[in-house]
Amino acid sequence: MELTWQVAAVWIGLALAATLISIRIGVSVALVEIVVGTVGGNLLDLRLTPWINFLAGFGSIVLTFLAGAEIDIQVMKAKWRETLSIGFASFLMPFLGAGAYAYWVAGWSVEASEIAGIALSTTSVAVVYAVMVERGYNETEFGQMILAACFITDLGTVLALGFLFADYDWHMAAFGVCTALALWLLPKVTPWFFAKVGSKISEPEAKFILLILFTLGGLAQAAKSEAVLPAYLVGMVLAPVFLSNRTLAQRMRVIAFTILTPFYFLKAGSLVGWGAILNSVGLIGIFLGVKVAAKFIGVWPLTHAFRFGKREGMYLTLLMSTGLTFGTISALYGLANRYITEEQYAVLVTVVILSAVVPTLIAERWFTPEGEPGEEALERRSSAR
Amino acid sequence: MWRKILVGHDGSEGAKKALSVAVTLASQLGAEIHTISVEEKLPHYAATVGEVMESKQEAAEYFRKITVEAQQAAKAAGVTLRCHVLPGHEVETIVTFAKDHGFDLLVIGFMGHSKIFGRIWGSTSQNLTKLSPCTVLVVK
Repeated sequence: MELTWQVAAVWIGLALAATLISIRIGVSVALVEIVVGTVGGNLLDLRLTPWINFLAGFGSIVLTFLAGAEIDIQVMKAKWRETLSIGFASFLMPFLGAGAYAYWVAGWSVEASEIAGIALSTTSVAVVYAVMVERGYNETEFGQMILAACFITDLGTVLALGFLFADYDWHMAAFGVCTALALWLLPKVTPWFFAKVGSKISEPEAKFILLILFTLGGLAQAAKSEAVLPAYLVGMVLAPVFLSNRTLAQRMRVIAFTILTPFYFLKAGSLVGWGAILNSVGLIGIFLGVKVAAKFIGVWPLTHAFRFGKREGMYLTLLMSTGLTFGTISALYGLANRYITEEQYAVLVTVVILSAVVPTLIAERWFTPEGEPGEEALERRSSAR
Repeated sequence: MWRKILVGHDGSEGAKKALSVAVTLASQLGAEIHTISVEEKLPHYAATVGEVMESKQEAAEYFRKITVEAQQAAKAAGVTLRCHVLPGHEVETIVTFAKDHGFDLLVIGFMGHSKIFGRIWGSTSQNLTKLSPCTVLVVK
């Protein structure tokens, strides 16, 4: 007999512990949950039940939707040349570089190499955004351009994950047609529906969004694609709605961070074996180096082409080398579908975590551009973005 | 004696005591007085932009509240108080600000970390005392 509530108590206990640690040390709860998950997975008998897998999957879908919904389309339009080229190069070079290294040097299978390429191609918008906010760059043209480029990189990652492993049959056709229709209709239908039902305690708005995500996710699954693909795209087309409806965005975040994402990140961490990390220390270091080097090859020349200063160019390139959420989503997708082994999963997740921390520290320590905005007026700070 | 006083203000009880002493000093000496609050708890390596935005808003609300309280306390003593909120590491930011703006007295509250924490890393007040470019008054 499965002791559901005992299992739930252990998982929520770990989530609470991770939250308290994150508050104490000022590091995001997501990262701490992954680390606590590894402790739980290696030292405790953390069980993965079907309902934990469901909550974790649900968490990754909502997380991806929220990431898409945070895109500022106006900034993307204003600087489309820089944004598109830097964002695309930032995706493509590490995807090719890490994939090629995994296949030709590390001897991984084609599918495993593709997963490695995808997982290491990401740029963490949230990691970059936190640095931007701390330095006050999020309100400068330079900072907004970096953020917009990060979204393009993530779009490349999500598209690769959604299309590389899919079956191209009538399921895919149905998924493609329904997604295209939904993306075309949602910006018109959603504000109309929200105005009709209004904001109620029974949360019809959130349920409407979840219905869309689950329906398209189901179609994606039938086509052997990934449910995070429609989630990100739906988030993107609904970004203006969410930017103007901050209460709904906040409620979605509360739902996600309370009950969904802890299961996702704890699960992602629990599957990382310490033994596998110890056996592959060298490979982890090499993959991290390949990721950062490939980002440099892709992004750094473009910073020169667009006439950024030396420090700004280095700073931008290092920040574009960060990764977290989409990297773990890609690795977990690979493990769940048996494209990668547990050892390969441990390697990729460790590299992803290191890539969130190491390039950020180097960028902040040695390459902060000069002329940063120092003191922010209290009035400006109360409106975060 | 002191013409320009800076108070490290994080809203704690220790900081409130420090502010009270600093306001009295500024009133008696006719000195200029400022507070500095450092926002150092934004989550690093976040999973979503929203997580950072909400933390930022929470911090902004908190600092707005403590700033208003500090200004009211200073006004009651007939002193004009200027408040600054900066992002960054607490010690580094306060030391740099004091240096850049030519303060000649830094007033801080005694910050009680655990004994173990204090022994290993040094408390914030210890580090500020060590690194400050001007005289430091630690209020207990």
